[in-house]
Amino acid sequence: MVTLNHLKECLEKIKKENKEINAIIELRNEKDLIKEAEEIDKKIKEKKAGLLAGKIICIKANICIEGMHTSCASKVLENYISPYDATVIKKIKKEDGLIIGYCNQDEFACGGSGETSAFGPTKNPVNKTLIPGGSSSGSAAAVAAGFCDIALGSDTGGSIRNPASFCGIVGIKPTYGSVSRYGLIDLSMSLDQIGPLAKNVSDAALMLSIINGKDSLDSISEESKKINLEKINQTPKKLKVGILDFEIKDKRISELIENKTKEISKKNNWEIEKIKIENLDLAVETYYPLVYVEIFSGTRKFDGRKYGEEIENSAGPEVLRRILGGSEITKSEYGGRYYNKALKAKELIKEEFKEVFKKFDCIICPAVPRLPWKIGEKISVEEGYAADVLTIPANLAEICAGVVPVGKIEEIPVGIQIMCNKFEEEKLLSICKSFE
Amino acid sequence: MTNDFTWHKVSEEEKEEIKKKAKKIMDDFSSKLEGLNLEKEGSIIRGNGIREDEKNFDKISREIMFSNAKQKNADFIIAEKKRW
Repeated sequence: MVTLNHLKECLEKIKKENKEINAIIELRNEKDLIKEAEEIDKKIKEKKAGLLAGKIICIKANICIEGMHTSCASKVLENYISPYDATVIKKIKKEDGLIIGYCNQDEFACGGSGETSAFGPTKNPVNKTLIPGGSSSGSAAAVAAGFCDIALGSDTGGSIRNPASFCGIVGIKPTYGSVSRYGLIDLSMSLDQIGPLAKNVSDAALMLSIINGKDSLDSISEESKKINLEKINQTPKKLKVGILDFEIKDKRISELIENKTKEISKKNNWEIEKIKIENLDLAVETYYPLVYVEIFSGTRKFDGRKYGEEIENSAGPEVLRRILGGSEITKSEYGGRYYNKALKAKELIKEEFKEVFKKFDCIICPAVPRLPWKIGEKISVEEGYAADVLTIPANLAEICAGVVPVGKIEEIPVGIQIMCNKFEEEKLLSICKSFE
Repeated sequence: MTNDFTWHKVSEEEKEEIKKKAKKIMDDFSSKLEGLNLEKEGSIIRGNGIREDEKNFDKISREIMFSNAKQKNADFIIAEKKRW
Protein backbone atom coordinates (compact mmCIF):
# COMPACT_ATOMS: atom_id res chain seq x y z
CA MET A 1 0.00 0.00 0.00
CA VAL A 2 3.08 2.25 0.03
CA THR A 3 2.48 3.67 -3.43
CA LEU A 4 -1.28 3.88 -3.13
CA ASN A 5 -1.21 5.68 0.21
CA HIS A 6 1.47 8.07 -1.00
CA LEU A 7 -0.47 8.73 -4.22
CA LYS A 8 -3.57 9.57 -2.18
CA GLU A 9 -1.58 12.02 -0.04
CA CYS A 10 -0.21 13.75 -3.14
CA LEU A 11 -3.60 13.90 -4.87
CA GLU A 12 -5.14 15.34 -1.73
CA LYS A 13 -2.54 18.12 -1.67
CA ILE A 14 -3.01 18.80 -5.38
CA LYS A 15 -6.79 19.08 -4.99
CA LYS A 16 -6.36 21.45 -2.06
CA GLU A 17 -3.53 23.68 -3.28
CA ASN A 18 -2.97 23.42 -7.03
CA LYS A 19 -5.79 25.80 -7.89
CA GLU A 20 -3.75 28.57 -6.30
CA ILE A 21 -0.19 27.43 -7.08
CA ASN A 22 -0.98 26.34 -10.68
CA ALA A 23 1.96 23.94 -10.83
CA ILE A 24 0.13 21.09 -12.54
CA ILE A 25 -1.73 21.66 -15.78
CA GLU A 26 -2.83 18.11 -16.57
CA LEU A 27 -3.53 15.36 -14.08
CA ARG A 28 -4.09 11.79 -15.21
CA ASN A 29 -7.38 10.04 -14.54
CA GLU A 30 -7.58 9.16 -10.82
CA LYS A 31 -8.98 5.66 -11.39
CA ASP A 32 -6.08 4.81 -13.73
CA LEU A 33 -3.58 6.17 -11.22
CA ILE A 34 -5.05 4.12 -8.36
CA LYS A 35 -5.02 0.98 -10.51
CA GLU A 36 -1.38 1.59 -11.46
CA ALA A 37 -0.42 2.29 -7.83
CA GLU A 38 -2.02 -1.00 -6.76
CA GLU A 39 -0.09 -2.86 -9.47
CA ILE A 40 3.18 -1.27 -8.31
CA ASP A 41 2.39 -2.19 -4.69
CA LYS A 42 1.76 -5.77 -5.76
CA LYS A 43 5.19 -5.81 -7.43
CA ILE A 44 6.77 -4.36 -4.27
CA LYS A 45 5.17 -7.13 -2.20
CA GLU A 46 6.48 -9.74 -4.63
CA LYS A 47 9.93 -8.07 -4.62
CA LYS A 48 9.72 -7.56 -8.38
CA ALA A 49 9.38 -3.78 -8.38
CA GLY A 50 11.64 -1.35 -10.25
CA LEU A 51 13.92 1.23 -8.66
CA LEU A 52 11.33 4.04 -8.81
CA ALA A 53 8.53 2.06 -7.20
CA GLY A 54 6.69 4.16 -4.63
CA LYS A 55 7.84 7.46 -6.13
CA ILE A 56 5.25 9.93 -7.41
CA ILE A 57 6.50 11.78 -10.47
CA CYS A 58 5.46 14.84 -12.48
CA ILE A 59 6.78 15.83 -15.90
CA LYS A 60 7.41 19.18 -17.59
CA ALA A 61 4.86 19.68 -20.36
CA ASN A 62 7.51 19.69 -23.11
CA ILE A 63 8.44 16.01 -22.67
CA CYS A 64 6.19 13.64 -24.64
CA ILE A 65 3.98 11.18 -22.75
CA GLU A 66 1.81 9.02 -24.97
CA GLY A 67 -1.85 9.99 -24.84
CA MET A 68 -1.28 13.23 -22.90
CA HIS A 69 -1.35 16.90 -23.92
CA THR A 70 2.29 17.83 -24.47
CA SER A 71 1.34 21.48 -24.73
CA CYS A 72 4.60 23.21 -23.73
CA ALA A 73 2.17 25.47 -21.80
CA SER A 74 1.22 27.06 -25.10
CA LYS A 75 -1.99 27.70 -27.00
CA VAL A 76 -0.03 26.48 -30.05
CA LEU A 77 -0.04 22.89 -28.80
CA GLU A 78 -3.01 23.08 -26.42
CA ASN A 79 -4.78 20.22 -28.20
CA TYR A 80 -1.70 18.24 -29.22
CA ILE A 81 -1.78 14.67 -27.94
CA SER A 82 1.57 12.96 -27.97
CA PRO A 83 1.53 9.74 -30.00
CA TYR A 84 4.61 8.32 -28.27
CA ASP A 85 6.68 8.30 -25.07
CA ALA A 86 9.98 10.17 -24.82
CA THR A 87 12.93 7.91 -24.01
CA VAL A 88 13.11 9.27 -20.43
CA ILE A 89 9.41 8.45 -19.92
CA LYS A 90 9.93 4.89 -21.14
CA LYS A 91 12.79 4.51 -18.66
CA ILE A 92 10.70 5.87 -15.75
CA LYS A 93 7.79 3.57 -16.57
CA LYS A 94 10.13 0.58 -16.84
CA GLU A 95 11.35 1.27 -13.29
CA ASP A 96 7.77 1.57 -11.95
CA GLY A 97 7.78 5.32 -11.34
CA LEU A 98 4.20 6.57 -11.14
CA ILE A 99 3.78 9.55 -13.48
CA ILE A 100 0.72 11.52 -12.40
CA GLY A 101 0.65 14.52 -14.70
CA TYR A 102 2.11 17.43 -16.59
CA CYS A 103 3.63 20.50 -14.95
CA ASN A 104 3.18 24.11 -15.94
CA GLN A 105 6.21 25.85 -17.45
CA ASP A 106 7.25 28.96 -19.30
CA GLU A 107 5.79 28.74 -22.80
CA PHE A 108 8.08 26.56 -24.95
CA ALA A 109 10.63 26.91 -22.11
CA CYS A 110 11.09 30.59 -23.02
CA GLY A 111 11.41 32.42 -19.72
CA GLY A 112 12.97 32.30 -16.31
CA SER A 113 9.99 33.21 -14.16
CA GLY A 114 7.05 30.94 -14.91
CA GLU A 115 5.06 33.98 -16.05
CA THR A 116 5.12 33.28 -19.79
CA SER A 117 2.83 30.22 -19.58
CA ALA A 118 -0.36 30.54 -21.62
CA PHE A 119 -2.11 28.72 -18.76
CA GLY A 120 -1.30 31.40 -16.20
CA PRO A 121 1.74 31.93 -13.99
CA THR A 122 2.83 29.39 -11.40
CA LYS A 123 3.17 30.68 -7.85
CA ASN A 124 6.12 29.94 -5.59
CA PRO A 125 4.87 27.61 -2.82
CA VAL A 126 7.30 29.22 -0.37
CA ASN A 127 5.75 32.67 -0.88
CA LYS A 128 2.79 32.76 -3.23
CA THR A 129 3.29 36.39 -4.23
CA LEU A 130 6.64 35.51 -5.81
CA ILE A 131 7.67 33.83 -9.04
CA PRO A 132 8.92 30.24 -8.69
CA GLY A 133 11.58 30.78 -11.36
CA GLY A 134 11.63 29.01 -14.68
CA SER A 135 11.30 27.72 -17.16
CA SER A 136 10.62 24.47 -15.26
CA SER A 137 8.38 26.52 -12.95
CA GLY A 138 5.65 23.93 -12.38
CA SER A 139 8.16 21.09 -11.91
CA ALA A 140 9.93 22.98 -9.11
CA ALA A 141 6.70 24.22 -7.52
CA ALA A 142 5.12 20.74 -7.65
CA VAL A 143 8.08 19.25 -5.76
CA ALA A 144 8.25 22.14 -3.27
CA ALA A 145 4.49 21.94 -2.59
CA GLY A 146 4.66 18.18 -1.98
CA PHE A 147 2.53 17.29 -5.03
CA CYS A 148 5.16 14.73 -6.07
CA ASP A 149 8.57 13.37 -5.01
CA ILE A 150 10.47 13.99 -8.22
CA ALA A 151 9.79 16.01 -11.34
CA LEU A 152 11.53 16.19 -14.67
CA GLY A 153 12.45 19.55 -16.15
CA SER A 154 14.58 20.72 -19.04
CA ASP A 155 17.52 23.09 -18.73
CA THR A 156 18.77 25.20 -21.63
CA GLY A 157 20.26 28.13 -19.70
CA GLY A 158 19.25 27.39 -16.12
CA SER A 159 15.65 26.24 -16.39
CA ILE A 160 16.07 23.49 -13.80
CA ARG A 161 18.55 25.22 -11.49
CA ASN A 162 16.90 28.65 -11.35
CA PRO A 163 13.48 27.41 -10.10
CA ALA A 164 15.16 24.84 -7.84
CA SER A 165 16.97 27.73 -6.13
CA PHE A 166 13.87 29.94 -5.82
CA CYS A 167 11.68 27.10 -4.52
CA GLY A 168 14.26 25.66 -2.10
CA ILE A 169 14.70 22.24 -3.70
CA VAL A 170 17.43 20.25 -5.49
CA GLY A 171 17.86 20.50 -9.28
CA ILE A 172 20.41 18.80 -11.51
CA LYS A 173 21.40 19.77 -15.05
CA PRO A 174 23.25 16.77 -16.44
CA THR A 175 26.14 16.90 -18.92
CA TYR A 176 25.04 17.76 -22.45
CA GLY A 177 24.44 14.50 -24.27
CA SER A 178 24.19 12.32 -21.16
CA VAL A 179 20.37 12.12 -21.06
CA SER A 180 18.36 11.41 -24.20
CA ARG A 181 16.26 14.31 -25.50
CA TYR A 182 14.25 12.07 -27.82
CA GLY A 183 10.68 13.23 -27.24
CA LEU A 184 11.66 16.61 -25.77
CA ILE A 185 10.11 19.52 -27.65
CA ASP A 186 13.22 21.60 -28.09
CA LEU A 187 14.04 25.19 -27.26
CA SER A 188 17.66 25.16 -28.39
CA MET A 189 18.99 21.79 -29.46
CA SER A 190 22.65 22.67 -28.96
CA LEU A 191 22.02 23.44 -25.29
CA ASP A 192 18.88 21.59 -24.06
CA GLN A 193 19.18 18.88 -21.43
CA ILE A 194 16.55 16.99 -19.42
CA GLY A 195 17.18 16.60 -15.68
CA PRO A 196 15.55 15.91 -12.29
CA LEU A 197 14.16 18.20 -9.59
CA ALA A 198 13.57 16.67 -6.16
CA LYS A 199 13.22 17.41 -2.45
CA ASN A 200 16.61 15.82 -1.74
CA VAL A 201 19.84 14.82 -3.49
CA SER A 202 19.15 11.08 -3.10
CA ASP A 203 15.91 11.24 -5.10
CA ALA A 204 17.49 13.44 -7.77
CA ALA A 205 20.43 11.02 -8.01
CA LEU A 206 18.11 8.02 -8.23
CA MET A 207 16.18 9.59 -11.09
CA LEU A 208 19.33 10.67 -12.91
CA SER A 209 20.84 7.19 -12.60
CA ILE A 210 17.77 5.85 -14.41
CA ILE A 211 17.30 8.41 -17.18
CA ASN A 212 20.94 8.85 -18.25
CA GLY A 213 22.69 6.77 -20.88
CA LYS A 214 23.21 6.66 -24.62
CA ASP A 215 20.18 6.58 -26.89
CA SER A 216 20.44 5.98 -30.63
CA LEU A 217 17.35 8.17 -31.11
CA ASP A 218 19.18 11.28 -29.92
CA SER A 219 22.07 11.90 -32.31
CA ILE A 220 24.17 13.86 -29.80
CA SER A 221 23.68 11.31 -27.03
CA GLU A 222 26.87 9.88 -25.55
CA GLU A 223 27.67 6.96 -23.30
CA SER A 224 28.16 8.25 -19.76
CA LYS A 225 29.63 6.75 -16.61
CA LYS A 226 27.09 4.75 -14.62
CA ILE A 227 26.11 6.53 -11.42
CA ASN A 228 26.84 4.48 -8.30
CA LEU A 229 24.23 5.60 -5.78
CA GLU A 230 26.18 4.24 -2.81
CA LYS A 231 29.21 6.37 -3.68
CA ILE A 232 27.07 9.51 -3.56
CA ASN A 233 26.70 9.07 0.19
CA GLN A 234 30.46 9.13 0.69
CA THR A 235 31.84 12.64 1.29
CA PRO A 236 34.60 13.29 -1.25
CA LYS A 237 38.10 13.64 0.17
CA LYS A 238 40.93 15.84 -1.11
CA LEU A 239 38.72 18.13 -3.09
CA LYS A 240 39.93 21.33 -4.70
CA VAL A 241 37.05 23.78 -4.77
CA GLY A 242 36.99 26.93 -6.88
CA ILE A 243 34.77 29.72 -5.58
CA LEU A 244 33.75 31.81 -8.55
CA ASP A 245 34.91 35.40 -8.30
CA PHE A 246 32.00 37.16 -9.95
CA GLU A 247 30.43 40.36 -8.70
CA ILE A 248 26.68 40.39 -8.17
CA LYS A 249 24.49 43.21 -6.90
CA ASP A 250 22.91 41.38 -3.97
CA LYS A 251 25.91 40.89 -1.67
CA ARG A 252 23.79 38.94 0.81
CA ILE A 253 23.57 36.10 -1.73
CA SER A 254 27.31 35.97 -2.49
CA GLU A 255 28.15 36.14 1.24
CA LEU A 256 25.76 33.33 2.07
CA ILE A 257 27.23 31.10 -0.65
CA GLU A 258 30.83 31.90 0.25
CA ASN A 259 30.30 31.33 3.98
CA LYS A 260 28.54 28.03 3.38
CA THR A 261 31.32 26.88 1.05
CA LYS A 262 33.97 27.80 3.61
CA GLU A 263 32.05 26.01 6.38
CA ILE A 264 31.60 22.75 4.43
CA SER A 265 35.13 22.86 3.01
CA LYS A 266 36.63 23.32 6.48
CA LYS A 267 34.57 20.45 7.85
CA ASN A 268 35.75 18.12 5.06
CA ASN A 269 39.30 19.39 4.72
CA TRP A 270 38.75 20.60 1.17
CA GLU A 271 41.09 23.13 -0.37
CA ILE A 272 39.39 26.31 -1.57
CA GLU A 273 40.51 29.07 -3.86
CA LYS A 274 38.83 32.02 -5.56
CA ILE A 275 38.81 31.71 -9.35
CA LYS A 276 38.00 34.03 -12.21
CA ILE A 277 36.66 32.86 -15.54
CA GLU A 278 37.60 35.53 -18.03
CA ASN A 279 34.62 35.77 -20.37
CA LEU A 280 31.90 34.70 -17.98
CA ASP A 281 30.34 38.18 -18.07
CA LEU A 282 29.58 37.57 -21.78
CA ALA A 283 27.63 34.38 -21.16
CA VAL A 284 24.23 36.05 -21.59
CA GLU A 285 25.35 37.83 -24.77
CA THR A 286 26.64 34.51 -26.15
CA TYR A 287 23.63 32.45 -25.15
CA TYR A 288 20.68 34.45 -26.44
CA PRO A 289 21.68 34.71 -30.13
CA LEU A 290 22.09 30.91 -30.13
CA VAL A 291 18.68 30.45 -28.54
CA TYR A 292 16.94 33.00 -30.79
CA VAL A 293 18.26 31.31 -33.94
CA GLU A 294 17.68 27.74 -32.79
CA ILE A 295 14.13 28.32 -31.54
CA PHE A 296 13.28 30.12 -34.77
CA SER A 297 14.60 27.16 -36.75
CA GLY A 298 13.07 24.54 -34.44
CA THR A 299 9.58 26.04 -34.47
CA ARG A 300 9.16 26.14 -38.25
CA LYS A 301 7.29 22.85 -37.84
CA PHE A 302 4.54 24.63 -35.92
CA ASP A 303 2.77 25.82 -39.04
CA GLY A 304 -0.71 24.75 -37.93
CA ARG A 305 -0.88 21.92 -40.47
CA LYS A 306 0.78 18.84 -39.00
CA TYR A 307 -0.18 19.75 -35.44
CA GLY A 308 -1.47 22.61 -33.33
CA GLU A 309 -1.85 26.24 -34.33
CA GLU A 310 0.50 28.45 -36.29
CA ILE A 311 3.05 29.64 -33.73
CA GLU A 312 3.31 33.25 -34.98
CA ASN A 313 -0.43 33.70 -34.39
CA SER A 314 -0.80 31.88 -31.09
CA ALA A 315 2.32 32.36 -28.97
CA GLY A 316 2.82 34.92 -26.21
CA PRO A 317 5.28 37.85 -26.21
CA GLU A 318 8.46 36.10 -25.01
CA VAL A 319 8.22 33.23 -27.51
CA LEU A 320 7.48 35.76 -30.26
CA ARG A 321 10.43 37.93 -29.20
CA ARG A 322 12.76 34.98 -29.68
CA ILE A 323 11.18 33.74 -32.91
CA LEU A 324 10.88 37.15 -34.54
CA GLY A 325 14.35 38.12 -33.33
CA GLY A 326 15.72 34.82 -34.64
CA SER A 327 14.00 35.42 -37.97
CA GLU A 328 15.59 38.88 -38.21
CA ILE A 329 19.17 37.86 -37.44
CA THR A 330 19.14 34.83 -39.75
CA LYS A 331 18.29 36.93 -42.80
CA SER A 332 20.68 36.18 -45.65
CA GLU A 333 21.97 39.77 -45.63
CA TYR A 334 23.71 39.05 -42.30
CA GLY A 335 25.35 35.86 -43.60
CA GLY A 336 25.00 34.03 -40.28
CA ARG A 337 27.13 36.68 -38.54
CA TYR A 338 25.20 36.74 -35.22
CA TYR A 339 24.98 32.97 -34.84
CA ASN A 340 28.55 32.25 -35.90
CA LYS A 341 29.97 34.84 -33.57
CA ALA A 342 27.97 33.41 -30.66
CA LEU A 343 29.05 29.86 -31.55
CA LYS A 344 32.68 30.91 -31.46
CA ALA A 345 32.20 32.71 -28.15
CA LYS A 346 30.59 29.53 -26.80
CA GLU A 347 33.68 27.52 -27.75
CA LEU A 348 35.88 30.12 -26.05
CA ILE A 349 33.93 29.87 -22.78
CA LYS A 350 33.92 26.07 -23.04
CA GLU A 351 37.72 26.08 -23.37
CA GLU A 352 38.04 28.33 -20.31
CA PHE A 353 36.04 25.85 -18.24
CA LYS A 354 38.16 22.98 -19.56
CA GLU A 355 41.27 24.76 -18.27
CA VAL A 356 39.71 25.41 -14.86
CA PHE A 357 38.76 21.74 -14.46
CA LYS A 358 42.39 20.74 -15.01
CA LYS A 359 43.11 22.30 -11.60
CA PHE A 360 39.78 22.18 -9.74
CA ASP A 361 37.25 19.45 -8.93
CA CYS A 362 34.30 21.80 -8.88
CA ILE A 363 33.28 25.43 -9.24
CA ILE A 364 30.87 26.96 -6.74
CA CYS A 365 28.72 30.08 -7.07
CA PRO A 366 25.13 31.19 -6.44
CA ALA A 367 22.52 29.73 -8.79
CA VAL A 368 20.81 33.07 -9.35
CA PRO A 369 22.29 36.52 -8.65
CA ARG A 370 19.03 37.88 -7.23
CA LEU A 371 16.01 36.88 -5.18
CA PRO A 372 12.75 36.02 -6.98
CA TRP A 373 10.62 38.99 -7.93
CA LYS A 374 6.89 39.49 -7.40
CA ILE A 375 4.62 37.94 -10.04
CA GLY A 376 3.86 40.61 -12.66
CA GLU A 377 6.50 43.01 -11.31
CA LYS A 378 7.85 45.31 -13.99
CA ILE A 379 11.32 44.20 -15.01
CA SER A 380 12.96 44.81 -18.36
CA VAL A 381 13.72 42.04 -20.86
CA GLU A 382 17.44 42.60 -20.35
CA GLU A 383 17.06 42.36 -16.54
CA GLY A 384 15.11 39.13 -16.93
CA TYR A 385 17.79 37.68 -19.20
CA ALA A 386 20.57 38.79 -16.81
CA ALA A 387 19.10 36.59 -14.06
CA ASP A 388 20.50 33.61 -16.03
CA VAL A 389 24.11 34.84 -15.98
CA LEU A 390 25.36 32.24 -13.50
CA THR A 391 23.45 29.24 -14.88
CA ILE A 392 24.06 29.77 -18.63
CA PRO A 393 27.83 29.01 -18.45
CA ALA A 394 27.25 25.33 -17.58
CA ASN A 395 25.10 24.97 -20.70
CA LEU A 396 27.64 26.71 -22.89
CA ALA A 397 30.44 24.55 -21.45
CA GLU A 398 28.24 21.42 -21.75
CA ILE A 399 29.18 20.38 -18.20
CA CYS A 400 26.99 19.12 -15.32
CA ALA A 401 25.73 21.38 -12.54
CA GLY A 402 23.47 21.07 -9.54
CA VAL A 403 21.65 23.34 -7.11
CA VAL A 404 21.05 22.61 -3.43
CA PRO A 405 19.25 24.92 -0.96
CA VAL A 406 21.69 26.30 1.62
CA GLY A 407 19.89 29.06 3.44
CA LYS A 408 17.32 31.83 3.35
CA ILE A 409 17.32 35.59 2.86
CA GLU A 410 14.13 37.40 3.85
CA GLU A 411 12.59 33.93 4.34
CA ILE A 412 13.26 33.16 0.63
CA PRO A 413 15.36 30.08 -0.19
CA VAL A 414 18.77 30.53 -1.78
CA GLY A 415 20.47 27.74 -3.70
CA ILE A 416 24.17 27.06 -4.08
CA GLN A 417 25.31 26.01 -7.55
CA ILE A 418 28.01 23.36 -7.95
CA MET A 419 29.52 22.75 -11.39
CA CYS A 420 31.66 19.73 -12.30
CA ASN A 421 33.38 18.64 -15.48
CA LYS A 422 31.60 16.71 -18.25
CA PHE A 423 30.29 13.29 -17.20
CA GLU A 424 31.33 13.78 -13.56
CA GLU A 425 27.76 13.49 -12.27
CA GLU A 426 28.75 11.05 -9.53
CA LYS A 427 31.27 13.53 -8.10
CA LEU A 428 28.75 16.38 -8.51
CA LEU A 429 26.04 14.49 -6.64
CA SER A 430 28.36 13.55 -3.77
CA ILE A 431 29.41 17.21 -3.39
CA CYS A 432 25.75 18.27 -3.51
CA LYS A 433 25.03 15.72 -0.78
CA SER A 434 27.76 17.26 1.40
CA PHE A 435 25.95 20.61 1.23
CA GLU A 436 22.51 19.16 1.94
CA MET B 1 -0.14 43.07 -12.81
CA THR B 2 1.70 42.28 -16.04
CA ASN B 3 5.19 42.79 -17.39
CA ASP B 4 7.04 42.14 -20.68
CA PHE B 5 7.03 38.41 -19.95
CA THR B 6 3.41 37.83 -18.91
CA TRP B 7 1.49 35.81 -21.47
CA HIS B 8 -1.16 37.69 -23.44
CA LYS B 9 -2.54 37.66 -26.94
CA VAL B 10 -0.18 39.73 -29.05
CA SER B 11 -1.55 42.19 -31.61
CA GLU B 12 0.06 42.82 -35.02
CA GLU B 13 1.27 46.25 -33.84
CA GLU B 14 2.83 44.74 -30.73
CA LYS B 15 4.52 42.06 -32.88
CA GLU B 16 6.25 44.83 -34.85
CA GLU B 17 7.41 46.46 -31.61
CA ILE B 18 8.64 43.10 -30.28
CA LYS B 19 10.56 42.44 -33.51
CA LYS B 20 12.32 45.82 -33.33
CA LYS B 21 13.16 45.38 -29.66
CA ALA B 22 14.45 41.84 -30.25
CA LYS B 23 16.71 43.02 -33.08
CA LYS B 24 18.05 45.79 -30.85
CA ILE B 25 18.82 43.30 -28.07
CA MET B 26 20.63 41.06 -30.56
CA ASP B 27 22.61 44.03 -31.91
CA ASP B 28 23.63 45.06 -28.40
CA PHE B 29 24.62 41.50 -27.46
CA SER B 30 26.52 40.97 -30.70
CA SER B 31 28.46 44.21 -30.30
CA LYS B 32 29.56 43.12 -26.82
CA LEU B 33 31.11 39.99 -28.36
CA GLU B 34 33.15 42.15 -30.77
CA GLY B 35 36.08 42.46 -28.38
CA LEU B 36 36.57 38.71 -28.01
CA ASN B 37 39.36 36.85 -29.73
CA LEU B 38 37.20 34.61 -31.87
CA GLU B 39 39.76 33.06 -34.14
CA LYS B 40 38.54 29.50 -33.61
CA GLU B 41 35.98 27.92 -35.90
CA GLY B 42 32.56 27.68 -34.32
CA SER B 43 31.27 24.47 -35.86
CA ILE B 44 31.42 21.20 -33.97
CA ILE B 45 31.20 17.75 -35.52
CA ARG B 46 29.94 15.08 -33.18
CA GLY B 47 30.54 11.44 -34.15
CA ASN B 48 29.55 10.55 -37.67
CA GLY B 49 26.37 12.62 -37.52
CA ILE B 50 24.23 9.71 -38.66
CA ARG B 51 21.27 8.83 -36.51
CA GLU B 52 21.04 5.09 -35.96
CA ASP B 53 17.30 4.81 -35.87
CA GLU B 54 16.63 2.44 -38.75
CA LYS B 55 15.56 -0.28 -36.38
CA ASN B 56 12.90 1.99 -34.89
CA PHE B 57 11.69 3.35 -38.19
CA ASP B 58 8.68 1.02 -38.43
CA LYS B 59 7.25 2.53 -35.27
CA ILE B 60 7.00 6.00 -36.80
CA SER B 61 3.91 5.08 -38.74
CA ARG B 62 1.69 7.25 -40.89
CA GLU B 63 -0.90 6.97 -38.14
CA ILE B 64 1.48 8.55 -35.61
CA MET B 65 2.70 11.18 -38.06
CA PHE B 66 -0.82 12.29 -38.93
CA SER B 67 -2.43 11.81 -35.52
CA ASN B 68 -2.59 15.53 -34.70
CA ALA B 69 -3.13 16.97 -38.17
CA LYS B 70 -6.26 19.06 -38.52
CA GLN B 71 -7.06 18.11 -42.11
CA LYS B 72 -5.85 14.90 -43.68
CA ASN B 73 -6.80 12.03 -45.91
CA ALA B 74 -5.30 8.56 -45.97
CA ASP B 75 -2.03 9.67 -47.54
CA PHE B 76 -1.61 13.42 -47.10
CA ILE B 77 -1.86 16.30 -44.70
CA ILE B 78 -4.15 18.80 -46.40
CA ALA B 79 -2.88 22.36 -46.38
CA GLU B 80 -4.85 25.49 -47.21
CA LYS B 81 -4.40 26.97 -50.70
CA LYS B 82 -2.19 29.97 -51.45
CA ARG B 83 -0.42 30.10 -48.06
CA TRP B 84 1.70 26.97 -48.44
